[in-house]
Amino acid sequence: MHPSNAVTGDIMAPDPRRVSPFAGLRADWAAGDRSRLARLLILVLVIVTSFAFGASVMTGAADASVGNLLRWLTGTETAEAALSLRDRIIILDIRLPRAVLGLLVGAALAVSGAVMQGLFRNPLADPGLVGVSAGAGLGAVLTIVLGASVFGPLFALVGIYALPVAAFLGALLTTFLLYRIATRGGQTSVATMLLAGVALAALAGAVTGVLIFVADDKQLRDLTFWGLGSLAGASWTKIAGAAPIILLSLAVVPFLARGLNALTLGEAAAFHMGVPVQRLKTVAVVTVAASTGAAVAVSGGIGFVGIVVPHVLRLLIGPDNRYLLPASALLGGTLLIVADMVARTIVPPAELPIGIITAFAGAPFFLWILLRGRTQMGL
Amino acid sequence: MIEALDVTVRLGSKTVLHDISLTARAGALTAIVGPNGSGKTTTMKALAGEIACDGRVLIGGEDIRSLKPWQLATRRAVLPQASVISFPFTVREIVRMGLTVGASTTRVGGTSADPGLADRIAREALDAVDLGGFAGRFYQELSGGEQQRVQLARALSQIWEPVRDGRPAFLLLDEPVSSLDIRHQLTIMRLAADYCRRGGGVVAIMHDLNLTAMFADQVVMMKEGRVVAAGAPQAIMTDGMMETVFGCPMRVSVPPPAGIPFVLPQTTMA
Repeated sequence: MHPSNAVTGDIMAPDPRRVSPFAGLRADWAAGDRSRLARLLILVLVIVTSFAFGASVMTGAADASVGNLLRWLTGTETAEAALSLRDRIIILDIRLPRAVLGLLVGAALAVSGAVMQGLFRNPLADPGLVGVSAGAGLGAVLTIVLGASVFGPLFALVGIYALPVAAFLGALLTTFLLYRIATRGGQTSVATMLLAGVALAALAGAVTGVLIFVADDKQLRDLTFWGLGSLAGASWTKIAGAAPIILLSLAVVPFLARGLNALTLGEAAAFHMGVPVQRLKTVAVVTVAASTGAAVAVSGGIGFVGIVVPHVLRLLIGPDNRYLLPASALLGGTLLIVADMVARTIVPPAELPIGIITAFAGAPFFLWILLRGRTQMGL
Repeated sequence: MIEALDVTVRLGSKTVLHDISLTARAGALTAIVGPNGSGKTTTMKALAGEIACDGRVLIGGEDIRSLKPWQLATRRAVLPQASVISFPFTVREIVRMGLTVGASTTRVGGTSADPGLADRIAREALDAVDLGGFAGRFYQELSGGEQQRVQLARALSQIWEPVRDGRPAFLLLDEPVSSLDIRHQLTIMRLAADYCRRGGGVVAIMHDLNLTAMFADQVVMMKEGRVVAAGAPQAIMTDGMMETVFGCPMRVSVPPPAGIPFVLPQTTMA
């Protein structure tokens, strides 16, 4: 029996004893159709995401009560009567931006993973794999270690944006290099790109290592916390910088879905079916670089979202990108919001970096999927 | 009709096709035969528009380089030799891809897909390749021959109507029966012949010379990147031509007219 039949048994492989004798061919035909299930799951995810978002805004070390918040939101009481100024600041300027940022970053990471996997026709591909995250990381580390001394005037000019901008530029630069290396005569070789990505990631890692070697104690502490990944620094200004890039990328992605589906059968077959393959690859790569760069810039190294989320969804609703991509955005956002809630409530009033939570939950889960679905992934 | 005019293809420093010219008419099954490495698949890739070449390839009189990928997809569909996929798509989902991406249910400009029609076409295409009832199976679990037939159903749904808006569509098949049992070899060849009878065109790379003689209206013989001969099977499948192209002496025989007994002396060797 196919591994994923266990999860979606009644839809995938109907038990012959349960199929109505009148169903006949019609039932056989409907058997391979997972689109209704997929649409249902997306609807469920919309509801779950809304609940997670609401819960995140209401949960925290400080006590801002649900009842008061609701009374204020529904207008039964004025803001002053329902919530103290302190509570309003906590909700509006601390928890709300965190939830929004979690949603954006989670969606960006999960969708980037799903698009990369479709592009490379490999369920284990991830922006981390082709060096895009490493490039973004190098940009951030450069800023932390050399920022004030080397880029003094520039640093003063861009101020708090220095880190995000540098990480974003690092991601774009890596992608551009990858593209130049892997493209010859207008054709992008996925194999070359994958291998070049491994080399670029190693190179970025080496430069990062040198920078860490020369860093002082305070810088080391900053580096460690940034590298572990966190939404703790969420603010409306950070969101203003990252949201347009992430939202634009997410808006482009639905147009890639059918092309990515066709790409499953190979680049030649996709072209035969009418897909402008070269343009699809270009748009997909730029989209992934932009959203990954933006996500890494504002949240550091949050791992496993891009690999685990699309995997779980493929087991549930199949690999059709028309449903997989929106579902990934929703589940990725939810996952990060929930992980962040755990991160800031597990050891109050201190906060764990969220990257630790996603790695603790994600890595064993990933290994479990890997072992369980080995045949299915052709490994 | 699909025409290749003086097509030359170089891969690296090696010239794989030397000034190939051939014509595949609508309403006819054109078989390309020849030994391994004679350039059959490269010719097919040039006809499909997927590799760069010198010379010109015309489909319905239009240069394929002037057509967008989605326009080409309404004029021809391609069955590749083998397809490995890395995601667990069902048979139904694979066949439907030919329809959502291709053009059978899509008007020019890519609007107005009719899901009911798409379902019907995909189901009939699966029935046509004798895979009715396989819709819910996972592609990766099927045998090689079954996968090949799923791919054919996918290609067939892409250009379901052999003639569309007065323009014939072409099926380009790279070894369509290579991994099939004898019954399904006949099923698929009859399907191809029927597509031609209804006004479409088929170009098929063939290794089975008997099936070629049975079903082809035109045979193109290739050797070392050149077209050696082209014409009706009766005219060009001769003892001499077989030896020239394949490099081994073979007798081409013709069964006697119906009603006349025929004795095969080989049966004494059994």
